[in-house]
Amino acid sequence: MIRVDGLGARAGTFALRDVSFELPAGAWGIILGPAGAGKTTLLETIAGVRHADAGTVTLRNVDVTRTPAEQRGVGIVYQHAFLFPHLSVEANVAYGTRDHGYAREVARRLGVGALMSRAVGNLSGGERQMVAIARALAPEPDILLLDEPFAAVDPRSRTRLRRELRSMQWEQSLTVLHVTHDFGEAGTLGDLAILLEEGRLLQAAPPETLFRRPPSAAAAEFLGAENVFAGTTTPMESASGDEPGVMLFRAGPLTLVGIGDSKLATHAVIRGEDVVLSSERPGPSSARNAVSGVVAEIVVTGALARVTVDLGDLPLVATVTAGSVSELGLLPGSRVVATIKATAVHLC
Amino acid sequence: MVAGSLLLLLLLALPLVAVVLRGGGAGLRQFGTDAELRGSLWLTVQTATLATLLTVALGTPLAYLLARERMPGASVVGALLDLPLLLPHPVAGMALLLAFGRASPAGAALAAFGLAVVGSRTGIVLAMLFVAAPLYVSAAREAIARVDERYESVARTLGDSPARAAWRVTRPLAGRGLLAAAVVMWARAVSEFGAIVILTYNPKVASVLSYDRFTSEGLDGALPVAAVLVILALVPLLVLRTLRARVLPGELTR
Repeated sequence: MIRVDGLGARAGTFALRDVSFELPAGAWGIILGPAGAGKTTLLETIAGVRHADAGTVTLRNVDVTRTPAEQRGVGIVYQHAFLFPHLSVEANVAYGTRDHGYAREVARRLGVGALMSRAVGNLSGGERQMVAIARALAPEPDILLLDEPFAAVDPRSRTRLRRELRSMQWEQSLTVLHVTHDFGEAGTLGDLAILLEEGRLLQAAPPETLFRRPPSAAAAEFLGAENVFAGTTTPMESASGDEPGVMLFRAGPLTLVGIGDSKLATHAVIRGEDVVLSSERPGPSSARNAVSGVVAEIVVTGALARVTVDLGDLPLVATVTAGSVSELGLLPGSRVVATIKATAVHLC
Repeated sequence: MVAGSLLLLLLLALPLVAVVLRGGGAGLRQFGTDAELRGSLWLTVQTATLATLLTVALGTPLAYLLARERMPGASVVGALLDLPLLLPHPVAGMALLLAFGRASPAGAALAAFGLAVVGSRTGIVLAMLFVAAPLYVSAAREAIARVDERYESVARTLGDSPARAAWRVTRPLAGRGLLAAAVVMWARAVSEFGAIVILTYNPKVASVLSYDRFTSEGLDGALPVAAVLVILALVPLLVLRTLRARVLPGELTR
């Protein structure tokens, strides 16, 4: 279990401020955020190699804020493996343990067993990373901190490494905190997603919630939401005070029904895959929003197409299958109707 | 551009070549017969080595603390360390005489332990250390700073205390840089004259001997000693070149 409360730390001129979240034992937490958000600083402060100047770090229900790194029982893997260049692969993997048999076993499971006698200088990027992970796991920590460990790994090894790590996590009920830029990774691996920006925590929530209901327009854009509109919100029904409720959102010519937590919401976020396109206005349905527009652009990437619909100055992006584009006969200039459920319009 | 470069090289090389050509043969012949020359060279090598070893032992931890900025006022300390490099060397000698001469409390304390600073090997070592140790500390600090701190972070999470991580990881990774720093310091110590001559004229280190012969016997008497000193200075130069050739390419790939 990892819990941080009001955590603050400094790294040069950068400061991490007032970060709080809890990751249960055996869970996989994902840290997301733009470059310079403080992701690595957060990991280093939890590992104890960086001093916390405010707040507390609690591991396994014990406050370790003042415990030196070597006594925290936490493994760390950096984006660059930082293998000790003066040692062989075997000496690297066994660096933190007396049980060389177990170190070899971990290396074998991660597919680097055959590299043990090699010098670290002649390993590929993927091999280096796997050796670094084996080195972190050899002393049998129950908490593993990963700082973009797969960034330098080729896609095939990445899949295998991810799978192997996932199964080791289950077997040993490892608690993993993992910095990544890969949203796919966040969705498939994460139990909890933690979004940082400029040293502050924006949100800690299950990945699905974070992607569906980002805390701000900036967070939505960072998380890859295709449509973020600025406008004004007015409560419609059952919205009292700060209760989440159905609201009416206006942005220029566009009026949408959406769900918001606060009547002070200034933005509407709609993911491209939540927009349904049809060639004519659909019959009665539960969808509360149907707006018509003209197709401005179609970009096909593999099986998916990104269709930009001009709603009179406002572009709305829909992600549909390439098959739908040809079935509807969509071309730039075609008139279409975009249908969006109110629950897919997140007001923040 | 080429002409200017050649001119400077000529200016730098000509005196050295002249000394070796004029005094080299006699120096090597005298090395066999001149016991004072041999004794003086041996004294120089011994004292410079002792000063270097002392500095490595005391200066490496200091260089580490400065490099990792784990010391309050690291930048001020760093600047103070450069000061001895900027002093005229006789001034350094006088400062040492004031601080550690017989009349000073520190000098009296040292003398009580049989370590009189004036006219002794202790004085030679002290003078060498004072003028050359800052060179070691600043080069060692750079060598340590080049080793990414995250190597130590990883070692810490693998169970090492800060000191043990520095010893097991940073020391070997900075090793060649530290050795190069020690060689530079040793060479500087061997060639020191100004500070030593104020503290300890006798016993004579090689630089003092060459000066002594110059004043008593003229240029021809001093040249053989001078030539041997130039040849001695070539040794660390060669060691450094070999080290540098090996240290740079891809040493610290992550």
